[in-house]
Amino acid sequence: MSRRMGPIAGAGWIICLGIVLMVSLPLPAQDRPLSAQEILDKVDDLYRGESSHGKMTMTIVTAHWTRTLRLEFWNKGKDKSLIRILSPEKEAGTATLRVGNEIWNYLPKVNRVIKLPSSMMSASWMGSHFTNNDLVKESRFTEDYTFEKSFEGVREGRKIIEIDCRPKPEAAVVWGRVAVTVLQGDYLPLESKYYDEDLRLARTMSFSQVREMGDRTMPTVMTVVPADKPEEKTMVDYEEITFDLDLSDEVFSLRQLKK
Amino acid sequence: MILRLAWRNLWRNPRRTLITLAAVGLNTAVLIASYSLMDGLWKQIVANATNLVVGEAQIHAPDYLAHRSIYNSLDDPQKIMTALENQGIGAAARSYDYGLLAHESKSAGAQFWGVDPAREREVFDLAENIFQGRFLPEQPRRGIVLGKKLARSLNVSVGSEIVVVVQAADGSLGNDLYTVTGILKTVGESIDRNAAILHKADFETLFVSEGRIHEIALNSRGRLPLEDLARSAARAAPEAEVKTWRQLMPALSDIVNLLDVTIWIFLLIFFLAAGLGVMNTMLMATFERIREFGIIKALGAGPWRILRDVAVEALLLGLAASALGSVLGAAGAYYLQEIGLDTSAFAADYTVAGVAFDPLWRADLTLKAVGAPVVVMWLVCVLASLYPAFMAARLDPVRAIQHV
Repeated sequence: MSRRMGPIAGAGWIICLGIVLMVSLPLPAQDRPLSAQEILDKVDDLYRGESSHGKMTMTIVTAHWTRTLRLEFWNKGKDKSLIRILSPEKEAGTATLRVGNEIWNYLPKVNRVIKLPSSMMSASWMGSHFTNNDLVKESRFTEDYTFEKSFEGVREGRKIIEIDCRPKPEAAVVWGRVAVTVLQGDYLPLESKYYDEDLRLARTMSFSQVREMGDRTMPTVMTVVPADKPEEKTMVDYEEITFDLDLSDEVFSLRQLKK
Repeated sequence: MILRLAWRNLWRNPRRTLITLAAVGLNTAVLIASYSLMDGLWKQIVANATNLVVGEAQIHAPDYLAHRSIYNSLDDPQKIMTALENQGIGAAARSYDYGLLAHESKSAGAQFWGVDPAREREVFDLAENIFQGRFLPEQPRRGIVLGKKLARSLNVSVGSEIVVVVQAADGSLGNDLYTVTGILKTVGESIDRNAAILHKADFETLFVSEGRIHEIALNSRGRLPLEDLARSAARAAPEAEVKTWRQLMPALSDIVNLLDVTIWIFLLIFFLAAGLGVMNTMLMATFERIREFGIIKALGAGPWRILRDVAVEALLLGLAASALGSVLGAAGAYYLQEIGLDTSAFAADYTVAGVAFDPLWRADLTLKAVGAPVVVMWLVCVLASLYPAFMAARLDPVRAIQHV
């Protein structure tokens, strides 16, 4: 599991596999351009929420194998999420529960729930290029980083805004720098580049396939490419998602995990 | 004739001769024992480090040690094993990868080993280095042997059921239940904390890694010189990377080199101290006889005759003392080799450069350890007696007789 000790993540705000919105965002026509803080919060909120439930396909490509997992996920608030593998057969039923900073995995083959040790937080989740850490980030992005618009204009034929984010000295994050690129106008995310503490590019996450889903318009495909292995990637494709449903805390209990 | 004369002469003053004999003999014995102990320390550290699990040399796929990827395995390991077998070199093949172990509410990351239990028993000592339970049986039965600290952090004992979760070589999630069959004694920090040892067949099932061998460890138990072993390994596996224990454990190699120098300095001091003691005894014993030499000279003996007589006496005395000393010394060293010095009162589990060290310090009795002290003591004996004899031979007989 720790083979791809890949980039230790901290910014699960984007990645949080389950996701949701606190306020739905039918974009009001905006006269004034949003500030950097407003843009970041908006991106943050796009994939965060009171609760959500949906299905997604995760395609993992590595130098040695390629596999596709179908996943069902539930989220509630900032700190509870549950992901269950639907296929392939061998892993079907395997589930990951996250409550706060703790992660449990349920293994149907041996019918056991195991708690992930803190030493495994930076290890890969189910062989993907996401780490367990990516699942547990709770705080808002703008709380941990200082930021400024570093570019506003046309790049590769698109009008974009780039925001340069640097961690606050006291923030418990692992990145040395994050560059967030959004499209001008609708402020939907295009790309985030994560740099390590030595400011070397660690991974690039790109957003594509903007569609109507649930009650909003959002990029429904996220692709992570590790900088040191550009031929590898993990792609998450949302099949369906419902926001703001009534989920009881029971869904996120160890007892429920076994079912 | 000369020898008989010398022998009788020696026993003319039995007290003096016995004291000298005892002094030289005991010094020789102590030297033999300390030489053996020092040699034993050196060999023990190397044997501890290599016989247990590392071996004297290892074969890996090029670059394996840098990243330890499960995919970077040896090409045709069976061919390498056969080639080594044909050369009569003991070898064990191993596979490695990382994963997670869990028992009740505890969990910990571990390095999994896939081993051939029969081979490990034959070539290495790890299988006997068991704190609780036993090593893996020869048949795969989903048993697992854990490092001591790993077992403690999981709070498991022999017979405990343990959940194993790994990412298999095909990307899938490998998981299964294993039973703890044994817990290793302290071996070294890395193994104590990380080692989770499986039967190779179980390992292949868990990791979907059929035929992937990452390491072949070679051990001749000191029978072959390191260079020869490395050459044979390179011949058996021309495409692979061969490293000797000195390259695999550079810190230990440095310590052993340093120890080698230290041992030589200590032995030099021992030899000097013992040599000076013997010299003093011989000098005094010969000076005592200057009056006697004067009388012999007055009776018409030439200086060379005196010198010859003294030399032969010293030679005989040295011979007797060496015989006594080597018997005593060899007996002492043999005792230290078989029984050893128990140093556990001073340190419980201690490690040298990350390798557990047996608290029982054993000597290593070799021909060299007996020969070197005997020759040195004998030389000192003869030379130390020649000087006063030379003085006496040159003296005017009248003055020599009056010499007190």
